[in-house]
Amino acid sequence: MLPPYFKEVIRVKKRILAVILMIVTMCVNLSACSFNKEKRYEAEFLLLFDTVTQIVGYANTKEDFSEYAQVVYDNLKEYHELYDIYNDYDGKNNIKTINDNAGIKPVKVDKKIIDLLLFSKDAYELTDGKVNVAFGAVLEVWHQYREEGTENPDKAALPPMDILEEKAMHTDINKVIINEADSTVYLEDPEMLLDVGAIAKGYATEMVSNIAYEQGYKNGMISVGGNVRTTGSKGNNKQDWKVGIQNPDLEDENNQLYILSFKDDSLVTSGVYQRYYTVDGKQYHHIIDPVTLMPSDYFTAVTILCKNSGMADALSTAVFNMPYEKGKEFVESLPDTEALWVFKDGEEKSSSGFQDYIAK
Amino acid sequence: MKFVKKTDMIIIGVILVFAVLFMVLYRTKFSDQPAVAEIYYYSDLVETVKLDKKVDKIFSIPQNSHVVFHLYEDGTLRFEESDCPDKVCINTGKIGMVGQSAACLPNGIVVKIVQKSGRTEDTVDIIVGK
Repeated sequence: MLPPYFKEVIRVKKRILAVILMIVTMCVNLSACSFNKEKRYEAEFLLLFDTVTQIVGYANTKEDFSEYAQVVYDNLKEYHELYDIYNDYDGKNNIKTINDNAGIKPVKVDKKIIDLLLFSKDAYELTDGKVNVAFGAVLEVWHQYREEGTENPDKAALPPMDILEEKAMHTDINKVIINEADSTVYLEDPEMLLDVGAIAKGYATEMVSNIAYEQGYKNGMISVGGNVRTTGSKGNNKQDWKVGIQNPDLEDENNQLYILSFKDDSLVTSGVYQRYYTVDGKQYHHIIDPVTLMPSDYFTAVTILCKNSGMADALSTAVFNMPYEKGKEFVESLPDTEALWVFKDGEEKSSSGFQDYIAK
Repeated sequence: MKFVKKTDMIIIGVILVFAVLFMVLYRTKFSDQPAVAEIYYYSDLVETVKLDKKVDKIFSIPQNSHVVFHLYEDGTLRFEESDCPDKVCINTGKIGMVGQSAACLPNGIVVKIVQKSGRTEDTVDIIVGK
């Protein structure tokens, strides 16, 4: 028999054991509950920016998420209409209105257009002209030949070089006259056309993401046709967003390249495997090198990761149009910017900090 | 007298057995649910296709018979045919991993690979590339 003192100790220990067991059980239950607190919601929109918009959010109720999705949709639609180069909208001057008045008169436009064009001019300077919103005259020719060639593959042809060279005479971005005080834009060259396709989606994604944030939606992900912008983190545990980069080689068994993990960053991939047409068995894609006036031939895909979605969009096109050595040097010179290059033979190269983002 | 009585051991044992049982049940019921392809027609979910049935079939959605899908035995899916002008949907190729999507904008059709339940924090949110 143990002395009474020891009995007491044992009894206390047993009680402690019971309490520990209860606590463990409660923890399990609690974590199961908190898992259900914020649920994941997703939404898709069609018809904006000629692509699919995907939204992901974590919210307590479906209504909360719907409000967030509505804010994103309404604002994105406004940007879509203003940055449209193909369609008119009643009572609204947009990029098409500016194009229609090239060489005729300045067009009064919303500040959102002024801001986009100022941003685009900065991107032109930064990239040494490798992304140019005044390149529309050349892109229009390629667009037309690509559409005809896709519709009638037997008659698919390349645009004649003399036409491309003639159009390239009308791509001087300095002839895009922006008057901030009057809020007008004037294209001095009557033959010139704006094509904001390489920048507008990413820029609008950035702006809309910021608007949603200011309205209190602190965590979410918006992808406008692969222009991914993440805000904050996801779920109750404040996890990083996980974004996969598609393997441009469609025949590859492992059809995903990398899964990156990040918060508050943007990712954009410029690649060639969706928008192209075939002439005499060779594929011609849609990213046109401003120097050769032909589809850029260095890579099959370039991915850019940086804070600002508009910058990521512009850089992905610009770096796609640069030889690797030049692009690498350029990307390394930019703060908080990473890149992944995929070459035509499948070889991959990345900037110095890229590997740090790969999900463990 | 021992620190832990025999009955205590039995209780602990029973709790552990239940814990393992529920864990296994949870894992099999929720976590290992395979991905499915959701087909949307102008934002309405019109069809959910299971990808793990190891069947090879050609099909369309009732809303548009001009767009043809091909489901492969390996659990991937693609736009096989479409009457759209740009053929971007067909050029997108096979998809089958959670986070991937393909779309035929002129026809208002989007296909998304999703995992309805059992997502973990490591499940990819989106896969991009164009």
